[in-house]
Amino acid sequence: MKHVIEGSHAISEAVKLARVDVVSGYPITPQTHIIEAISEYCANGEMKAKFIPVESEHSAMAAVVGAASTGVRTFTATSSHGLALMHEMLHWAAGARLPIVLGEVNRALGPGWNIWMDQSDSLAQRDTGWIQLYCENGQEAMDTTLFAFRLAELVNLPVMVVIDAFFVSHTFEPVAIPEQEHVDDFLPPYEPRIALDPDNPFALFQMAPPNVYMEMRQSIHRAMEHTLDIYHEVENEFDAVFHRRYGMIEEINCENADIILVTTGSATSTARQVQMDMEKQGERFGILKIKTFRPFPGKAICNALQKAKKVAVLDRNFSFGSGGIFAQEVKGALQVLSQGPVVFNYIAGLGGRDITPDIISEVYLKTRDRDLPPCGSEWLGTSPRDEN
Amino acid sequence: MQTLNISDVDFAEPGNMSCPGCGASIAMNLALKALGQDTILVIPACCWAIIAGPYPMSSLKVPILHTAFPSAAVTASGVRAGLDMKGDTKTTVVAWAGDGGSFDIGIQSLSGAAERNDDIIFVCYDNEAYMNTGVQRSSSTPYGSRTTTTPGQGWKKTRKKNMIEIMAAHGVSYAATANIAYPEDLIRKFKKARELKGGTRFIHVYATCTTGWGAPSEYAVKIARLATRCNLFPLYEVEDGITYTLNEKGDTPVDAYLNLQGRFKHLSLEDKAGIQNQVDKDFAVLKNKLSVC
Amino acid sequence: MESQAMIKDKPTFQGLTNNVSLYISKSHASSRINKTGSWRFARPVYENKTAPCSASCPAGNYIPKVVMHLSKENIHGAFRALIQENPFPATCGRVCFHTCESACNRGSQDQAVAFRCLERYIGDMAITENFPLDAKSLAAGNAGNIKVAILGAGPAGLSAAFFLTRLGFSCEIFESTDKAGGVMQWGIPSHRLPKSVLDHEIQRIVNMGIKIHYNHSLDAEFMTTAHHSFGAMFISPGLSVPLTMGIEGESHIHQGLQLLMDIQTKDMPLKQGRVAVIGGGNTAIDVARSLKRLGADPVIVYRRRKQDMPAFAQEIVDTEKEGIEIIELKSPVAVQKIDKGFILNLVSMAPVTEKGNDGRTRVMPVDNTPETMIFSEIYSGIGATLHDSWKADADAPESAIKLDHVDFHLKDIPFLYGGDCVNDVQSVTHAIASGKEAAIALSAYVDSGIDSVKKTVDICRLGAGKALSMEIYLQGERRLNSDHVVTDTEINLDYFTSTPRIEPGHIPLKTSVTSFKEVEKTFTREAAMAEALRCYQCGFCNECENCRIFCPEISITRQNGKKMIDLDYCKGCGVCSVECPRNAITMEEEK
Ligand SMILES: Cc1ncc(C[n+]2csc(CCOP(=O)(O)OP(=O)(O)O)c2C)c(N)n1
Ligand code: SF4
Ligand code: SF4
Ligand SMILES: [Mg+2]
Repeated sequence: MKHVIEGSHAISEAVKLARVDVVSGYPITPQTHIIEAISEYCANGEMKAKFIPVESEHSAMAAVVGAASTGVRTFTATSSHGLALMHEMLHWAAGARLPIVLGEVNRALGPGWNIWMDQSDSLAQRDTGWIQLYCENGQEAMDTTLFAFRLAELVNLPVMVVIDAFFVSHTFEPVAIPEQEHVDDFLPPYEPRIALDPDNPFALFQMAPPNVYMEMRQSIHRAMEHTLDIYHEVENEFDAVFHRRYGMIEEINCENADIILVTTGSATSTARQVQMDMEKQGERFGILKIKTFRPFPGKAICNALQKAKKVAVLDRNFSFGSGGIFAQEVKGALQVLSQGPVVFNYIAGLGGRDITPDIISEVYLKTRDRDLPPCGSEWLGTSPRDEN
Repeated sequence: MQTLNISDVDFAEPGNMSCPGCGASIAMNLALKALGQDTILVIPACCWAIIAGPYPMSSLKVPILHTAFPSAAVTASGVRAGLDMKGDTKTTVVAWAGDGGSFDIGIQSLSGAAERNDDIIFVCYDNEAYMNTGVQRSSSTPYGSRTTTTPGQGWKKTRKKNMIEIMAAHGVSYAATANIAYPEDLIRKFKKARELKGGTRFIHVYATCTTGWGAPSEYAVKIARLATRCNLFPLYEVEDGITYTLNEKGDTPVDAYLNLQGRFKHLSLEDKAGIQNQVDKDFAVLKNKLSVC
Repeated sequence: MESQAMIKDKPTFQGLTNNVSLYISKSHASSRINKTGSWRFARPVYENKTAPCSASCPAGNYIPKVVMHLSKENIHGAFRALIQENPFPATCGRVCFHTCESACNRGSQDQAVAFRCLERYIGDMAITENFPLDAKSLAAGNAGNIKVAILGAGPAGLSAAFFLTRLGFSCEIFESTDKAGGVMQWGIPSHRLPKSVLDHEIQRIVNMGIKIHYNHSLDAEFMTTAHHSFGAMFISPGLSVPLTMGIEGESHIHQGLQLLMDIQTKDMPLKQGRVAVIGGGNTAIDVARSLKRLGADPVIVYRRRKQDMPAFAQEIVDTEKEGIEIIELKSPVAVQKIDKGFILNLVSMAPVTEKGNDGRTRVMPVDNTPETMIFSEIYSGIGATLHDSWKADADAPESAIKLDHVDFHLKDIPFLYGGDCVNDVQSVTHAIASGKEAAIALSAYVDSGIDSVKKTVDICRLGAGKALSMEIYLQGERRLNSDHVVTDTEINLDYFTSTPRIEPGHIPLKTSVTSFKEVEKTFTREAAMAEALRCYQCGFCNECENCRIFCPEISITRQNGKKMIDLDYCKGCGVCSVECPRNAITMEEEK
């Protein structure tokens, strides 16, 4: 049955359905609704979980690290500065190989306080060892959250379910909320490979000297690769129960496209509209939506893009002194091709600015009309303001 | 002399990585005698993160969860929550942090856990500086002390933070100081803390670091004992933030304590007199709070 | 609370999970793989040392061990440790002048431990509880049943019999009187040593299978014949002949020793009036206090200062408490009989700076005009000397070995002289030392010949002093102790708070001065335990376990009841050695 709920609550609902045991939470706009709803479920008994209202995001992650170490299912959510404050513990959770699921609402970082959409926060955490799954809308947020627990527990890696500030988090959409029994069919009880137990004592996450540290890091890497290998199968399981799937990437008309726009998150929805219009006008325009950023499905992306002439990566983030982060990654993936498409990089929609259909069109046209990209990335929709 | 009656059942093992004469090791050995097998320890960055053993070894017979430096208390809260969800009520969750991990970087998480009254025991083993990183000052470093970040004439001119009062002010059911030189008292306090399930209990254990304090290793216990005898580290308990009980009364001048340690050797007679003065005042303040004497 | 983690009956997707790499930092070994012993620069070694009290006790009592048992309320154990070295605990616990207490390290913290009284407590308990001299308490040597004749059943002779019997000799004692005990029997009044106590302790020795021939004359004839029937002789005749002063009218002076003997053996004479007792030693004191009890008003007249009196300090104090005046620095020069008594002429003396040969402060007459005092009787209490008949025998041949408490003369058989006739200090405890030394010397001689005697005695010394240990001779654990005598600075005073010495106290003065009831009381059990707890037990591991408790490395464990230091892990921090309250652990540098 479909309910009209906001994206944040889609995640909260999924957490409830996933029968999570321990949730920690600390408020930050635009994430707050997620944990508010969960704390309410816990308070009214809808959810049999322990909700820990911690005093910081660093602690939010530490709390679930502690809980997950006892072998229970855990969740927390944050955004922006909260994620930044969590940074140390993000490393800890991944290095500890704990299947924690984190709801992350993409938001810009200050100063210049800004509570609006921007991917810089989550992308800054790309090297922490977390799986990152970006969602386009409320339904995907719901489904991805359920999926995330399954995936995390299979590969012993934490998973970040990422949604856009406001565009997804605060937008009410019809979302199919699955039945508990279906969720239970998809998501079996967690059988931890790691759990603290006084009857079987060991030290966990102790100092790792140079003779083993590297292998342990490599093990995280292997688990990431393993994730790429089994992702499809897990989606099959999901599909079998819920009749939906998203793929690590989604190709929209990529087969026939000369130009493929690479998008993530809710901007994809806008792009879908523009693409349809363009296609009607005879443009050979395709879209590649990247859902799974970590592990980065480079091979699949390469396959999807290799026939195109040009690729336009739309980045709602920026790595200062370099460029859009998705663009960097896509370029890297295409390196294996001897004659791959030319990659254009556009920066748009930072700090909550809208990515309008006009911007998408502009991206398309600018890419179509030029043979080669300019050096570096192009910032779209900015005015030459430089007040100070 | 009355002999000490201390169990010879140990939950710690030899071969750990502590310096010779490590007070923190003694603290752990004794504490575990009281806590017993059904204990999960959470240890943040600190000397004990090393003492407990680098991979693949562990120097303790109870489970240890290592966590990041600022997070001992809340990681323990998380462990507690996990155990609660598993229906495990017998296990005691103990956060075991250094003074840095309690007074400084760990205070936020500790205060949070205490305010939520999470069902954990938080132990600060206090060696009065960041020892693991090579003797830098912490907010537990006492007035007059030299450390590598308060060197030479820049010796520490500010006082040690009064951590137990901070914890007592949280109204936790049990806050106590303990000292490795008073093993029976220490064990009694850990047992008491273990029994008082259901909320946050805080134990502040004085644990000599002869390496960092510039003292011969064999004086580890002697110096700790003097800290209490000189009233620099009074042994007392606070229940519910209200009921104060003093366990030991000291009457020794602070010189006896200061003079054994290199970290104080630059102090002039006036400096020492000043310390004595402060100690006397502090002790008078404490005595005013006593409900049971 | 039902939790997700507890629901176990749902299907799982096994195929997906099998081969995920999961190499995390999770321990799977004990830190025992890390042999931290290799870090060590110095190693702790359990090394019991010599307590100053033991070293200064002529009988070599193993005081720390005795007190250790006592403090653990193991009185039988305490007795066993005591009787190892001393057959007369209840007696010594009353009459010994307790050099142990002067040497006690605790003296520099507050007051010495009242060991003499503890010894008495243990000795008395042994009597009331009738503790046996069981095999456990007395390790036995094997001297092939050689027969030893012991001349004199005083403390030296009885002790010699006790120790020799333990070493496998068979002893017969020849005693000239009709009672055993010597000076303990007839010289020490019962207000200090009740006869029942003494008799019990003597009987305990006799019960070991020792034959005593009473009323046996020990004349020259006996001496010449006896040695044909014995393999060795131990001769301890005691000092039975009172010393004389060589003053005018000395015949008017009664012998104090005779009075003491009479009190024991005859009806008690009643005395009255002011009576002078000349002397400053224990005999003078005993005589004066006995006179008091017989109804007289005794005065002690001494030629030196009060602080020079050889009598035990406590005895002097007690004497004065009983109202007996001590007149110091007066030396008798003549006695005259008058109607109602005797005039004692005294010259005043004054100390001079130069010391006498014996190291004591000398006194010289101030002026020669004597003053006179009138007494109803005058007693001499200045001591006694050896009977002439023994003098020739006791004179050493060239081959004689002079030990501290024994002269060892090897004639056709060994003749060993001991007791007062040999000792510098004439006391019961020194007599015990003679008995022990004789036993060790004789046993060494029998085992390994004359050359081994001195060496063997040396091995048995406590802290290289004069006191000997039978336990060491018998290869007991005490032999492992180092000779180092523990000093007060080596005690960890952190463990000993200042607490005043506890003493058992005295019966009321009124009762004591009117009867021969024992003056000093004995400890109650509680008081004995409390006083025992004051003892540092210097240099003696009393299993307090501090070392184990404080070892940061858990390297001290107990295996089969014995503490062990696991050198695989001990880092050599030295905490154990400092926290040992009593210096029973020594740090030795690693080579
Ligand atoms: C976030 C963070 N900052 C700094 C450190 C480095 N560090 C590790 S241990 C330590 C000092 C610990 O001091 P304390 O808590 O007093 O324990 P001790 O080592 O003295 O036993 C520091 C500064 C760290 N691990 N993490
Ligand atoms: S500390 Fe105690 S147990 Fe250890 S050696 Fe010293 S006396 Fe013996
Ligand atoms: S306390 Fe332990 S580690 Fe230190 S020297 Fe003694 S036995 Fe060795
Ligand atoms: Mg510290």
